[in-house]
Amino acid sequence: MDEGRVSRRNALKYLGLLTVSAAGREFLASWLPMQLVRGDGHRAPVNISGMHHESQEPEAVATYSPQFFNPDEFRTVEILAAMIIPTDDAPGAKEAQVANYIDFVVFSAAEFEPLLQRKWIDGLAFLGRESQKKFNKSFREADEADRVKLLTDMSAPERDPNVKHEGFAFFSVAKDMTVEGFYTSKIGLIDVLDYQGMNYMPDFPGCTHPEHH
Amino acid sequence: MATQTIYDVIVVGSGASGGVAAYTLAAKGLKVLCLEAGRMIEPHKDFHNHKPPYRWRYRGHGKPGQYGKLPQGMEWKINEWTDQLYTIPHDDPYALAPGAKFTWTRLRAVGGRTLVWGRESGRFGPLDFKPKSMQDGFGEDWPITYEDLEPYYDKTEALIGMSGGGEAVYNSPASRNALPAFNARCGELLIKKGAAKLGMKTVSMPLAVLSKPYDNRLACHYCGACNFGCDTASRFSTLEVLFPKMQKMPNFTLRTNGVVNRILMDRNSGKARGVSFIDTTDNQEYEVVGKAVVLGASMVESLRILFNSRNREFPQGLANSSGTLGRYLMEHVAFNQLSGFFPELAGRPSTNDDGPGANSLYIPRFNYAKKSDKFLRGYRFTVETGCSMGPGPGAELPGFGSAYKKRIKELYPAAVNIGGYGEGLPFEWNFVEIDPDGLTDRFGIPQVRFHTNAEYDNAFALRDEMYGQMEEILRASGAELLPYEKRNPYPMGSVTHEAGGARMGDDPKKSVLDGWNRCHDIKNLLVVDAAAFVSHPEKSITLTIMALTIRASEHLAEELRLNG
Repeated sequence: MDEGRVSRRNALKYLGLLTVSAAGREFLASWLPMQLVRGDGHRAPVNISGMHHESQEPEAVATYSPQFFNPDEFRTVEILAAMIIPTDDAPGAKEAQVANYIDFVVFSAAEFEPLLQRKWIDGLAFLGRESQKKFNKSFREADEADRVKLLTDMSAPERDPNVKHEGFAFFSVAKDMTVEGFYTSKIGLIDVLDYQGMNYMPDFPGCTHPEHH
Repeated sequence: MATQTIYDVIVVGSGASGGVAAYTLAAKGLKVLCLEAGRMIEPHKDFHNHKPPYRWRYRGHGKPGQYGKLPQGMEWKINEWTDQLYTIPHDDPYALAPGAKFTWTRLRAVGGRTLVWGRESGRFGPLDFKPKSMQDGFGEDWPITYEDLEPYYDKTEALIGMSGGGEAVYNSPASRNALPAFNARCGELLIKKGAAKLGMKTVSMPLAVLSKPYDNRLACHYCGACNFGCDTASRFSTLEVLFPKMQKMPNFTLRTNGVVNRILMDRNSGKARGVSFIDTTDNQEYEVVGKAVVLGASMVESLRILFNSRNREFPQGLANSSGTLGRYLMEHVAFNQLSGFFPELAGRPSTNDDGPGANSLYIPRFNYAKKSDKFLRGYRFTVETGCSMGPGPGAELPGFGSAYKKRIKELYPAAVNIGGYGEGLPFEWNFVEIDPDGLTDRFGIPQVRFHTNAEYDNAFALRDEMYGQMEEILRASGAELLPYEKRNPYPMGSVTHEAGGARMGDDPKKSVLDGWNRCHDIKNLLVVDAAAFVSHPEKSITLTIMALTIRASEHLAEELRLNG
């Protein structure tokens, strides 16, 4: 149970406060369509879903099978994502299944943005060629140190805008989508960053540090 | 043929202007019909302000490319949380003259854009109503003063419910009827200290959000997702605050799914006699008649209706004997925010910095004493600080791997973004018309073409001044600034504060509306949305729209009472 979130518990406490005042009761009556009637006849605070309180848990997902990348490509995507956001003392792209997310988004791009599919196919092909040239192996079979070296080279323009690299455009897409996929997942946003918005808070203390005031 | 209801007033639109007009008039006992182009909204179904990104199929972004190419200023608005609310531009295209840009944000539903607005609710000051005579001779003065509008600002604040804004600064009057201000975040306080070193004052932002229960509405519960709607009526919207009151009045009728296409005129009296509208559920055209018509359809739509109502007497657009209809369009000077982080806040535990969904503090315009020789008028700054729904400033840094990931986590609670708005100037050549090439919407209603350009000299000069100030404020506050690129001033409409086109004025040769928002040419036809604006200071405009609306509506009610 995530102490920090306590959204369900907070919500019940918050809703409990509503029934205390006349204003709160009238509000509940006019605005919220569902009320839970307990067996003993007392009206409990509103049903959570009636207040449009979304579950904060991700939906249970059956095992995901890649829909766009072939098995070798998908393995490469997994490796790339784990290189960008690794598992260290906190969960990473692997635990958050970022490769599934990337595959799903790239697959879904067919209708309106097929260029995104091209970027990945071409990018992965580039990665494979470079890896063969430098290490005589595919990217996914190369040593970790070699892979890091290649990715570091490809990302050089990040560190120096005067430098160019043929693989930089693909590096940028892979990095952006990995960061996006990780930090919008429950693991990234809640477990790692401990995001506290979209919750029910009874008050907003703001800054609690005397030295800032 | 059945007898037709003759309403006292037909109000077009249900948002900040239309909704407030309908309420003010209906509360006076008049028989009011409010026509809303869009559908009714049910907060518990239509708002998703508690749905985190990972519960959306595409994490909130929609399928790649699903929303088409979005103009500057719309890319952050339309997402899976809101795509059922906003009009997606490619679903209802509009025209742009060659080289022109306009970001037209449309939300057709009861409540209009008050369902998702920014909630900043400050008053204009005395100088803002008389910029020509009291500031620098440019543009025109409003036909009213701050003192004329002051009692209506009071009424508006009491009606909508708001918090903060209690500190007056020069030309920025304090809110009078506000609940206690929201607390400030750490980052905001650091900015306040830094700004003070530069001689700038940072004050409480007046927000149309409740810090305490008010008017049978709940106080804010700090989910921070107000841009996606509000399920507890804690932020003001006409939908949740005014329409429930109106629905209890037997003299009030709301008709949704009615797109007004024309104002109907009485040839003999030269007055408006009603409107025609397309019912979007059956695509049929209907007419309703009334003693007065109030347009509050939002700036662009009200102008569009007036143009599309042109007739033999007004071939350039209804009520356009001045030739100024559609002209002198204005918008805030706006551009990219600067991003950075506070090293002293790095590595601290995460806190809820979303809070009441908007900044608690801001830096109001201060450049009154020292006139610049580079630009006219002024600007103000706002900051967003702390933890948010995104990964924060660390993600923008170069690198990958564990060090990169740790830096993201470290800087996440230390984020600071500073932005601002500059005053927009009115120019005759910034205008909108009906598309001469015959573009229509799917109901056959002729669509608009914009001839608008926000990239004029004063805008660039303000921008350069503001970039410089923003950098200094960040530095003085101890923040580290991330590299940024200078961007051209954003297109009109980007920050959704477009105004002008049917400006008020004392001279019927230079304005469309008189001092009571009545068309000079047609006295029972009013325009109460931002089309009426004469100037566009650096301040947010919605409170002024609502105050003008209440004033014009009360005046109209009195006229109808006296004249029958």
